[in-house]
Amino acid sequence: MMQWSSFVQKAQSLIDPANFTLPTLTATDRNPSKASLFRQQFRLPDSQNPLQEITAELILPIPHTSSSTSSGDQPRNLDRAGNRYAGRLHLSERFICFTTQPTSFAPSATHSASTHWAGQTNGTGPFGNGFTLPLCCIRRVERLNSLSHVFSLALTTWNGALGKQQGPGFVPQRFTIQLVGSRQACERFCDGLKKGLRECMKEIESLRVVVNDCYSEYLLSGAKSKAQDGDNAEVRQPPDAGLGMIFRYPGDARKLRDRSKMRLWGEYLRENGRNATLIRQPTFHKLIRVGLPNRLRGEIWELSSGSLYLRLRSPNLYTETLSKFSGRESLAIDEIEKDLNRSLPEYAGFQSEEGIGRLRRVLTAYSWTNAEIGYCQAMNIVVAALLIYMSETQAFFLLSVLCDRLLPGYYSTTMYGTLLDQKVFESLVEKTMPVLWDHLTKSDVQLSVVSLPWFLSLYINSMPLVFAFRVLDVFFLEGPKVLFQVGLAILRINGEELLDIQDDGSFISVLKSYFSRLDESAHPRSENPKLRAITRFQELMVVAFKEFSGITHQSITEQREKHKDAVLENIESFAKRTSIRNLGPDSKKLSMDDLGVIYDRFYEVLYEHQQRQRLLDEEKKRQQRKRAERTSILGPPVDREVGRVGLGPSPSHMDYDAFRDFLAATAKWAVGDTPGSSRKEPNVEQNAGSFRGFGKSLAWNNKSEPADHEFMQRLFQKWSTELSEGLSLQNVVNGLARLKGPRDIMNNINYFFDLYDDNGNGTVDREGILRMSEALLFLSRRGFDGAITPSEPPEEVGEHDRFEQDKLSTDERFLGSVSSFIRRCFEYADPSKPEGKPMPEQNDTDTEETTEKLDAFAIGDDDEEDLIDIGDEAKPAPSNLKKQDTVTQHNRDASEAANPALDPNNPLHITLPTFRMVILADELLEQFFDTFFPQSFHLSDQSHPTAKLTSLSSNLTTFSNINTPKPHATAAAGATVAGASGGIVPPGKGLRGVLDNIVSDGIRMAAEVKKRMDEAQRELERNALSRPQDDDEDDDDEDYDPRSGTSAPATIVGGISSWGAGAYGADPERRSVRDTDRDLLEGAEVVSIHKKEDSSLLDDKEEHQHSAVEGSSSQQQGQSSSHHHNDGNVVSKVEFEL
Amino acid sequence: MSESTSTNTPKPSSSVKLVLLGEAAVGKSSLVLRFVNNDFQENKEPTIGAAFLTQKCSLPTRTIKFEIWDTAGQERFASLAPMYYRNAQAALVVYDVTKPSSLTKAKHWVAELQRQASPGIVIALVGNKLDLTNDADEASGEPRTDSEQQPPAATTDEDDTAGEPQEEQDATPGDARKVSTREASSYADEEGLLFFETSAKTGVNVVEVFTAIANAIPESSLKSGRGAGAGTGQTTLGGGRPTEDSRVNLGDRTTATAKEGCAC
Repeated sequence: MMQWSSFVQKAQSLIDPANFTLPTLTATDRNPSKASLFRQQFRLPDSQNPLQEITAELILPIPHTSSSTSSGDQPRNLDRAGNRYAGRLHLSERFICFTTQPTSFAPSATHSASTHWAGQTNGTGPFGNGFTLPLCCIRRVERLNSLSHVFSLALTTWNGALGKQQGPGFVPQRFTIQLVGSRQACERFCDGLKKGLRECMKEIESLRVVVNDCYSEYLLSGAKSKAQDGDNAEVRQPPDAGLGMIFRYPGDARKLRDRSKMRLWGEYLRENGRNATLIRQPTFHKLIRVGLPNRLRGEIWELSSGSLYLRLRSPNLYTETLSKFSGRESLAIDEIEKDLNRSLPEYAGFQSEEGIGRLRRVLTAYSWTNAEIGYCQAMNIVVAALLIYMSETQAFFLLSVLCDRLLPGYYSTTMYGTLLDQKVFESLVEKTMPVLWDHLTKSDVQLSVVSLPWFLSLYINSMPLVFAFRVLDVFFLEGPKVLFQVGLAILRINGEELLDIQDDGSFISVLKSYFSRLDESAHPRSENPKLRAITRFQELMVVAFKEFSGITHQSITEQREKHKDAVLENIESFAKRTSIRNLGPDSKKLSMDDLGVIYDRFYEVLYEHQQRQRLLDEEKKRQQRKRAERTSILGPPVDREVGRVGLGPSPSHMDYDAFRDFLAATAKWAVGDTPGSSRKEPNVEQNAGSFRGFGKSLAWNNKSEPADHEFMQRLFQKWSTELSEGLSLQNVVNGLARLKGPRDIMNNINYFFDLYDDNGNGTVDREGILRMSEALLFLSRRGFDGAITPSEPPEEVGEHDRFEQDKLSTDERFLGSVSSFIRRCFEYADPSKPEGKPMPEQNDTDTEETTEKLDAFAIGDDDEEDLIDIGDEAKPAPSNLKKQDTVTQHNRDASEAANPALDPNNPLHITLPTFRMVILADELLEQFFDTFFPQSFHLSDQSHPTAKLTSLSSNLTTFSNINTPKPHATAAAGATVAGASGGIVPPGKGLRGVLDNIVSDGIRMAAEVKKRMDEAQRELERNALSRPQDDDEDDDDEDYDPRSGTSAPATIVGGISSWGAGAYGADPERRSVRDTDRDLLEGAEVVSIHKKEDSSLLDDKEEHQHSAVEGSSSQQQGQSSSHHHNDGNVVSKVEFEL
Repeated sequence: MSESTSTNTPKPSSSVKLVLLGEAAVGKSSLVLRFVNNDFQENKEPTIGAAFLTQKCSLPTRTIKFEIWDTAGQERFASLAPMYYRNAQAALVVYDVTKPSSLTKAKHWVAELQRQASPGIVIALVGNKLDLTNDADEASGEPRTDSEQQPPAATTDEDDTAGEPQEEQDATPGDARKVSTREASSYADEEGLLFFETSAKTGVNVVEVFTAIANAIPESSLKSGRGAGAGTGQTTLGGGRPTEDSRVNLGDRTTATAKEGCAC
């Protein structure tokens, strides 16, 4: 689970920024587009950045195979230089790359210098002559003491030298690079190189492992051992070059001229280095274009796609992943199982358990490393194809490169990449073949229904396999544009016939028959035998790469950019439609508009949180800059766009923090009182230190901070079905449907009660009652000062008006109501002692007593006692009515003594009927639950505003007339209430009297409460427990506050929130429980951060260990790994023998 | 298909675009394969995007040429579906009678189609893999086709996971049914859908589904040639059609279920 979250975090969205340049991405100082262009050009892992570059000339020796002289005269070989290439030399953390492409990725380089491509790969693959060398492949670097103004380095590589033994005739690969630039620039480059070499030395073991899996290694050494005829007793097994070695490779090897291709490659590799140390010369590209030989195909795919470098970085990742997740189950695995038996079933290897097992393992392992993609149908076909030519490990890494880079977003859960590229393809057809396009449009043929499988499964199940593999050969080298070129060429070649088709059916059958005859002659009736010999497939390749050479990575990028928004919007509206429709029966209680609003808000909040998280991550990265590399070598690039719904699986669950934001966007009461102050995140702050603070300031600059109140936590817990996961959209909709559904006061009251029924036994204890009252105050603290938000709900206008008449603010009245609520709750509470005295009697006496007390003392005082009891730590308002002070003080002790309910040693509880009764007994509380509470959740704003207005105003007109039966908006609701209260209210003279007294005493009482709170506040401050008081909202209140211009409501608000906090403090046990809960919720992200950190630390540790081992072993070796500074001809010599 | 080959009299012919939707591995492609080629393959390659096939269906008064779009079932392909059901005049929403979740998914598809597809679209709800249930005995006795493979109460899966045989053992032996006919058919009634239970493996009811659909397509929306049939002309017809035809459909459906002798 933990690992999951870290994966998910790593993989936050799917777009390669090079393909979708987004303004949001340029915010970083890492200049991602240049770095990713650089990585694309050389197919480097995402950890690599262009550190240094310099103009240089590559001087290759005359191939040693062609000169029969033995190893003694290397220098001479060097002098008699062979091919020379001018170009540019680039250095990254772990690679040194050379290309004849004069492009620059330095931060200072112009955009065009980084993006101006020419040639076949157009910057999307290792184009041009040159090399991409992992630094660990370099065995020795010497600075040649040649002509004074020339700065030359001679590089010796490990090419062929990692095997057990080198034959006597072994000649190491050695070539020269002349740096062209100022002496300073050259020195700087060399320093960088030295540093890189030193750091990469430890990777030599990985290199050895990786290289051993390469068929080329076997091929070249095998040829040698054959010549020497078995000096080695043990015959080396050939490395796994795919299922083809067991089940034969597809196609007729003779017809494919496999043997001669192999010979050509053997020669090329011998002269130019193999696998990791290969140097690209023009022949390399030509050899790929004519089709790869079976046994080398996998290796060259690996090399040209760059997946070799991923494998080099963590050679054991595949097996580790498998063993780590062995026995685990997932949705992806279920889906994979369904398709295993139906992946290239025509190939013998996939009718056997061997082939199916490999397929299962690769797909499963990948689904674990990239949980975001998991498994997508079509991957089975692609991987099956790969497995014919390469080992499981190789296929695993190549699949990763496919999903992350070559086919961005193709297999995501929304498949937006596929849809996008279909749009791009259509627009390219329209542009290049307008006549055909017109015809297709007129005949209502949708091109993408045909072309989609081409792209999605890389032509593998469209063309006969042998030809599909030829396309793949080029695709891995030159990138995604190949798919477009081939697609366009198919349409172009069949253009005439396609102009005759009338519908999808004939369209498809034309192409089907074309694919089935790819091996036939393209010009069967030609006189010219040479022309006749050209197959349709060859014709296709020529058309694709000659005629459509204008289709470059650049043009595709532009097109993608153009269509991206429309495609994403389509997907998102589809997703929204579908998910709203599928929300189940409860959602029907809400209007479509409401659901739409919830949906949007839900994902908006998630999106923001994700963005925030990303900023945090980036900041973290910045702080850990010394560790420049990413922890995971797989997974999409770090600098990708984040979480639009259309892009794939954005997180689908809200944690508590996100939920608060959601509520804050929904209900006014959930908006915090001061930015930052109410945000309680002790855990987070402890753990994540300054990142957290950073994120806060960054992310919350323009948004109101959500409040954090226990009520919200309860709501969160109530709504969630799986607390550890957070809230899904379904949870939120269900939760809101319960509250916003058909208006039903009883339902709302019950719901509220349930929220506080911690044990689920239908009772709420003393603590709960106090918390309920806190919540009531919390909820109402904004609801009644309509001036704070411009969009006033109508009820507040109404109440406001009325209060101006009555010279009594709703807040005060409500305060009174809450106060009496507490009192009554205690009055009617049942003692919790299981085997107590007969309950009803006890209750009666209690009531009786209390009523007597009420008569005896001023009612307001009694109320205050209750409030004070809870509000001991409350932080409150400047007192404005001093005169009452003494009275209260005087009465305090008396009432405390008199009211047994206040005795903490006397556990008690209320039941739902009691709660209901208490609520219904109070006009304001009843209204609160009838209208305010449900309506405080604002969804689609246009929801029956008129109905609200009328119902409320009717309520309000009779408000002051406290003795008449309460009016109800609907007859039905009224009936329910009447029925309910009629049944429950006990002999109620006391209650009515209480009510009357309270109302008549309203002002005084409220003032008292305030004063009490004020006292408590002062005490609180004395205890240094309070937070700085906040007067933000004072101005708003003054307008109508009848009391002498003080900021009473606002301070009450502040008081209440800290009151809540205080209450936690009062009950350490409770608090700690909740904190752990919160840990779970808030911590989800924290945990994942930490997880990540941990794993990276581990990585590091491993590396260190590794290097330590390396270091010691190399020291044992004496001269190895030493690092000379010779003023003479060797600038830096890094060497070790093994 | 005997129907398709017997074109002795030149009847008016028209094409109907039909789309298959449903959860992965419920047997959509197998149904089509059975209908088009009267064939069945154990390991059918998953459909990537969609497959396109055609088959004629001969009615007493006319010939219908079905242009069948068989879509991929995996959840994430759902966002591609609108591309395929665009302008479709008929839809087959398939679920697996041994898998309740597939009926839920089918309901989602029905809702999607009712809201988003052409207004007059004829939708048939089809419960496939009847061969895995006890009903298969009775059903396979039906003298419908001379299909080569009619194993009595076959217990093998079509293309599903290995998990199912176990489920089978849990239930009454030989009966893997998890979705009752009653449940599905009452839902179909509610929504005004055609309803069938089929087995692509044994061929039970497969042709009947397509024939019923062909019958349910209003004559007025049929024009020779597809381009005309699919345009706006069809949308305007949507209003008048359902009342008439749903009556016919209901008749079809009851006979169909009666024939199977289901306990509903």
